[in-house]
This record gives sequence, structure tokens and C-alpha cells, in this order.
Amino acid sequence: MPGSTVKAKLRSDDHRVWLPVIIIVLLGLIFLALSQAVFGVRYTFTVRVVALGGAVLGVISGVLGCFAVLRRESLMGDALSHAALPGVALAFLLAGRDLSVLLIGAGIGSWIALRFVSAVLSTTRIKQDAAMGIVLAGWFAAGIALLTYIQSIPDASQAGLDHFIFGQAAAIVESDIELISIVGVVVLIALALFWKEFKLVTFDPEFASANGFRVGFINTMLSTLVVVAIVLGLQLAGVILMVGMLIAPAIAARQWTRRLNQMVILAGVFGAFSGGIGAVISAFDSDIPTGPTIIVVAFALVVFSITLAPGRGLLWSAWRQRLDRRRFAALNTLRDLYRYAIAHGGARTPVPDDFLRGIDDRGAALGLRQLKSAGRVEFGDGGWQLTQSGVELAEGALHNLRLWELYRLYADELALPMLQEDRQRDIRERLPADAIAALESRLEGRQS
Amino acid sequence: MILLERALIDLLLNVFTREELNAFLRSPQNTATIIGCLIAISGALLGSFLLLRGMSLTSDAISHTVLLGIVVAFLLMTEVFGMEGDTSSPWLIIGASLAGVGTVVLTELLFRSGLVRQDAALGLAFPLLFAIAIILVSRFAEDVHLDEDAVLVGEIGLAWANTNSHCYQHCDSVTITPEHPAATLARQCSNCRELGISPRDDGAEFVEICGNCGVYSPARAWSAGLLQNQPHLVFFPKSITVTLVMGLLSVCFVVIFYKELKLTTFDAGLAKALGFRPGLMNYGLMILVSLVAVGAFDAVGSILVIAFFIIPPAAAYLLTDRLSLMLLLSPIIGAAGAVFGYDLARGQLFGIWDVGAAIAFINQSLGLDLPARWDSSISASMVLMIFLFFLLAWVLSPRYGLISTFVRRLHQNRRFQNQVVLAHIHNHQDTERREVELRVDTLHLHFRWQPEKMRRVLARLRVMGLVRMVDQLVELTERGDAHVHEFRKVMLATHNVPDLD
Repeated sequence: MPGSTVKAKLRSDDHRVWLPVIIIVLLGLIFLALSQAVFGVRYTFTVRVVALGGAVLGVISGVLGCFAVLRRESLMGDALSHAALPGVALAFLLAGRDLSVLLIGAGIGSWIALRFVSAVLSTTRIKQDAAMGIVLAGWFAAGIALLTYIQSIPDASQAGLDHFIFGQAAAIVESDIELISIVGVVVLIALALFWKEFKLVTFDPEFASANGFRVGFINTMLSTLVVVAIVLGLQLAGVILMVGMLIAPAIAARQWTRRLNQMVILAGVFGAFSGGIGAVISAFDSDIPTGPTIIVVAFALVVFSITLAPGRGLLWSAWRQRLDRRRFAALNTLRDLYRYAIAHGGARTPVPDDFLRGIDDRGAALGLRQLKSAGRVEFGDGGWQLTQSGVELAEGALHNLRLWELYRLYADELALPMLQEDRQRDIRERLPADAIAALESRLEGRQS
Repeated sequence: MILLERALIDLLLNVFTREELNAFLRSPQNTATIIGCLIAISGALLGSFLLLRGMSLTSDAISHTVLLGIVVAFLLMTEVFGMEGDTSSPWLIIGASLAGVGTVVLTELLFRSGLVRQDAALGLAFPLLFAIAIILVSRFAEDVHLDEDAVLVGEIGLAWANTNSHCYQHCDSVTITPEHPAATLARQCSNCRELGISPRDDGAEFVEICGNCGVYSPARAWSAGLLQNQPHLVFFPKSITVTLVMGLLSVCFVVIFYKELKLTTFDAGLAKALGFRPGLMNYGLMILVSLVAVGAFDAVGSILVIAFFIIPPAAAYLLTDRLSLMLLLSPIIGAAGAVFGYDLARGQLFGIWDVGAAIAFINQSLGLDLPARWDSSISASMVLMIFLFFLLAWVLSPRYGLISTFVRRLHQNRRFQNQVVLAHIHNHQDTERREVELRVDTLHLHFRWQPEKMRRVLARLRVMGLVRMVDQLVELTERGDAHVHEFRKVMLATHNVPDLD
């Protein structure tokens, strides 16, 4: 039975994920229309190329960022992107300025950094955060030293190399997009081919290794794919902000769903949105840098998701808390009223207002209001008095509580079905009739 | 600040003459090295606690977002309050430390919502704040020196030139009024533009404008040639003062709160139970990290500074198990990195190797044509040097280093091999199966070892005089027998081992 409820729950998640996708697509369309009409953005060839590049890179980094976030390696993205810099500089020194060569250099630099972190972790007692910090600072310093050296070379072709630091979307040209798209498709195909393995090592590496999967190898492959995503995104976001571009869409996507495939798709959509829209916004004015704008858009998506996501978001849980508080307030007040009345004469004894408010002022006020409008209590001389229906309700609730207590004590002995205790609910809804009868007979046995 | 500088110079003037002091501070190398050492000391002290708390990357986040505080404070100063933009103003320091603490608070908020994990929260918060800072810089603050290069590497090489002057003799500050003989006056038509007439026309009215009026400090007055007697001046780099204050603050913080820091770092629960406030200590530490990050911002930029926080403590952590020793070693490592790093930036490694020669070699072997003169970023070279020291500690550390670990493993391996072979011989040498079990040429089969490995182990045992060969069989010598019994006794005392007999 529990298995089927989980499945049903997951199935209901399936529909939920379409909501953000539709919202995002609508937002994107509205934005495009507005940007043309209101802000007067002219979709020149350059703007279109940059926006397309931003969107494609957003998809790649969003998709792979999911794995970085789920493996708790978000900050690894930061270290690896900084570590790409010396690779870029060395590639330039050795082979000259060609985008694919620079990207290969960047990839090698990050990849060595990745291996360095694992080497430090496996041979010393330094923890992961410090190991990543060492790599980040050391590699970045090497990159800066090499870039400073390169700047001393009297040769104009080095210009623009430091765009890798802050990213420069305007430098993206059509042939770059071809390269990015081809590599992106290869990355996505690799992801699809090894989907099962990646999913397994992400969520349960011990289980994977017990079942004969080569966890080390799969981990390395997944990290390599993340490195590829980082390296591609560097042109847009730069080494410093790349981590935001990698993880923000994934974190936003995580809020809407519990399933990996949906999260990956959603992160891709979010990434495309922030990459494309960020690029367009920065086309408003030459003073707005692209990379930082993309990060701000992506963070806006995170805030949007954290606040609004159904089931998990802040608004949602605040609403649920409010409902719960109302429900509990009525029940608790009723219980306090009844107990006081019984202890002071009989069920219909008036209860002083001070007593109820002294226990929990806000809760009591809330509860009394509800009970009064339902006709369970009335305010007479001397205080609050239960009506006849109120007494019945209170006795029923008390009885329910006693049954729950007995359930806890005798569930094993009477071989009752296992269920999660929720004393605010009617136990008769949760247990079959014969189980209730067994509990009732116990209760009578105790009271006599 | 100024008073502190003054007191410091007074102190120094007791030992050195004014000329010596000026000459010393005018050298870029001396100033850069001093600043680097001071940053290294404060960074390493605070970084040690960050490392032990597993919060090293918080310094990364703080150092990034300090930029936002600086930019916002700078813009407020210049645009809103109309003050003169000055990157070493205390307002910037206050703004930046607020931003640093703000990062920590934002991260906590994201984490507390229960929807985002700790690392992801950090990874979200600081790119956002840094991105906002970059947008503000490129949109509003382009003309100031808050450019992107300064953000990345700082200007430690130029720190010597940005000074406060302190006057010690002939300190005449000069005030030039329009009546002063040195005033340069110019006549300017006050109503020509309004009336659209030329100054030569009738009706033009004139005012006298003083071109150089104002108050001249002794240094400015002398350079403007207004003084007969040269004032005795000391020029003191501003960055030294800032980093010195940060260094003193860090040292005082660690010394005064040593006990509290130690306790909250290693056992926060116990600290809380004993009535200390771990949260308060944490925020104190974060505020100081922000302060140091701001103080270092001018000199080394906002990214390289994290190397001073993370790498020296990590190296010291590999060298010692004692907190007090770690707090001593890590500043030394950082400071040594700063000293040798300056030489590296000028192409000298430890003053022995020449980077230019290495480049020439690379040129020769790869057929490239790179300039042989290596003249690189000072701050980046300092970090590289610190990183090199980390590598050295990693390889050479007496207890945790790669070499000592390798040697120890090798040693353990050999001892284990010796023990199992001796035990095997001891178990079988007086039984009937000894002909099968102890033949030299088949002994390796019983261990599933390679024949060479067994030959090596046997040779070692023979050299040690523990076994001998008799008729193709191995047996224990008396020493070997004693060895096995001794080993058993030790194991019996320390482990639960079945008795021999």
C-alpha cells in the first residue's frame, strides 16, 4: 500500500512540472515582445547571436548543474571555473588564439584541478572545502601570473584573453555557436547514454559499487562533463560568476520536482531563459555587462521558485502552517475548556476567559472564534460555556485521543496495521472497523 | 589612522634617520613585502580557524562580496554625499564589512529555509552579490580606479606611491589668499556670456579669480616652491597602515579569545553548554575576515586574498597537530610566501633560479618565440609561492607528507610480510607436514605470492638472521624463534590473540 501511494504522489508531480515550464515560456515571450515595444531593443544580428549563444550555454550548464547540486559539489563548480584560467593562458602561449584550442586548454586546466582535489582528499586529512579553496586560489594565481606575462608580449592578438575572467558575450560569433552546439549535443548524448549510471552514483554510490558499477570511473566521467559545461560557459559568464550559472537553474528546478529527469529538463529550460533573457537585457545599454546580468536573472528564478513552488515553496508552507494552526487551535481550546469544566463541576461549567487566554492567548482567541461560530460554545456570565453539541464534540475528541494512546500501547499486541500517528485525526478513518472494535474493548476493560 | 601613523613613525625615528626611513619606504619591494607579510599574518591566523571549522570557502564568498560593499559605499559617498572618492576611506571599510557579514546572513537565510543546501546557498549568494557589484562598477563607477583589474590583482606594486606625508621640521603650511604675493590672479568677465558680448565691449564687468588659492600642506607647499626651507617630511604608504591595523586586530582577536575560539571550533556543543556563545564567536570571526578582506583589497584584489586565508593554514595543518603551533606556522608560511613571491614576480625563484632561463629553454625545445623577460603580477606570484610551500609541506611533512606516508606504508608492508612468513614457519616446523609446507621452492604457493616476492622476503629474513635453510626446508633460528615469541607476547598484551600452546 505505501508503495502505491508513493507512486501516485510521483504521478501527481508529473503534472506539476509543466506549470513552471509554461510560466517560463510565457514570461520569455512577453519579455521579448515588451523589450521590442517598450525598451526599443533592436534585434540585430549580433544580439540574436549572443542571445542564442546564451540560451544554448544556459541549457548545457543548467542540465549538468543538476548533478553538481545533487552531489553537494556546488562549490566545486567555482573552483573548477577559476582553475580553467591557467589552461587558457598556457594554450594561448603554446598554440595561439583559437577558440577551440583555448577551450581545450581550459578543460585540461580544470581537469587537472579536479584530479588535484581528489589527490589531496585521498592522501591528507584536509577537508573538501579547503582543498577546493587551495586549487581555486593556486590555479587562479597561476592564471593571473601568466596573463600578466602575456600582456607584456608585444603582440595585438592577446587582446580579449582576459574576457575569460568576466566573460564577454559580445565576443561570441556565429562560428562559436556552432562549436558550442556541437559540443553541447555530444555532452547531452553522453548524458543520455549513461543516464542510469549517473543517476545511481549521484544518489547512492555505495549501492552502485556493491552492484559492480565502477563508481570511480563514472564519477570521473560525470565530473568531466561538468568541466566541459563550465569551460563552454566561461565565455559568457567568466570564471568568477560561472558557478552561479551552473547551479542557480538547478536549484530553482529542484524546488518544483522530486524526480531527476524532470529536474534536468526544468533546469535546462531555466538555464536557457536566464542565458537568453540576460543577454537581451544587457543589449539595452552598452554599460550593462552580460555575464552578471545572466546571474541576476538566474537568481531571480531561484527566488521565484523558492517562494512559489507548490508543495515546497515558502508561500506554500506558510499557507499550510496557517491551516494547521487554525485546526489545532480549535481542538486545543476545546480540550482545555472541557478538562477545566469537568474538574470544576461538570461539562457545562462556565470557564473563565482568563484561564483560556493564559494558556495560549492567540491560539485561544482563534479557537474560541471558530468554536463560537460553529455553535460549540457560548459566552455567558462567568465565562465560556460548552453547548450540548460542544460537549459531544469534546467527548468525541477525548475518546479519539484515548484510542490513539491505546493504539500506541497495544498496536503490536493486537497485530494492528502500522500507520503514522496523527492524533489530530479521527482514528476511525485510519484503522479498519475490527481494529477499532479491539481498541474499544480494551478501553472498556481499562475503565471498568 | 593618521595619529597611528604618526606614533609609528615617531617610534621608528628613534632608530632610523628620516632619510633612511624615506629611502626604505620608497622602494617598491620593501613596501610590497611588508604589506604582503601583514596580509599573510592576519589571513593565516583567521584562516586557521576557518579551516578547522570547515568554513574555508566562506572566506571566498566574503572576499567576493566585499567588492559590493566597497562599490555601494563609494557610490553613496561620491553621488549622494558629494564627498571626494577615496578608496582608503573608513566608510568603505565599514560598507565592505557590512557586505561581508551580509553574505553570511544571506547564506544562513537561504540555508535555514530548508530548501537549499549549505554549499549551494554559498554558491548562490556570492555570485549574485558579486554580479551586482560588477554591474554597478561598469555602469556608474567607470571613471574611478575601481576597475576590473584592481578587483582581480590589486596594486601592491604601486602601494609605495600612495602615501600620507608627515612633517617634522619647518612645517609651515601656507595659505594663499588673493592678497598673497604668490597668488596668480586672472580677470574673468562675469556677465559676458549672459549678455552675449565680448570682454572688450563696453558694459563688461570683471571679477578677479585666484588660480592657486587655498591651504597648502607642507609637502604641497614645498613642491609648489612656496617655502624657503625644505620641510622635513616622512612619506608613509597608506596601505601599510591599513594592513597593519588589520594585522593587529587579528592578532589581538586571536590572543584575547584564544580559549573561546578553540572551544567553539572543536566542540561547539560543549561551548554552548558551558555558557559560551558559539554564534557570537562565529560572527566575530566573520567580521574580522571581512575587515581583512577589505584591507587587502587595495593590495591584492578580492580573489587572490583567499589564498592568504586558505593555503597557509592548510600547509600548517599538514605539519602539526597542535593548534598553537599551527597558529605560529601558518603566518610564517604566508609571510615567507610574500617575501619570496616578490622575487618570483621579478623572475627569480628563491634568488637561485631564473625564470627567464626556463622560458628560454621552453622556447628552444618547443620552437616558440616567447619573450624571456618574466615580469609578472606581484600578488599572483606571492600566492604561487604560498602554493609552492603547500606542495612542499604536502610532499615533505614528517607525519602526513607523501614521502613519509610512503615510507611508513613500505615499512609496515615489510613487517607484515616478515611476520606472516615467520608465523607460518613456526606453525609448521615441528609437524609432519613440514616437508610439504616449508619447502623453499614451493613456499610462495602457500601465501599465493609471486616467487620473486617470496625470494625477497626470505633473503631479508636470512640477512636478519631469523631463518636458515636446511635441506631445501626453511626453519627458524633461535633468534627467529625468540622473535616470534616476543611478537606473540606483545600481541597478547595489546590484542585478543589465541594463546600459542
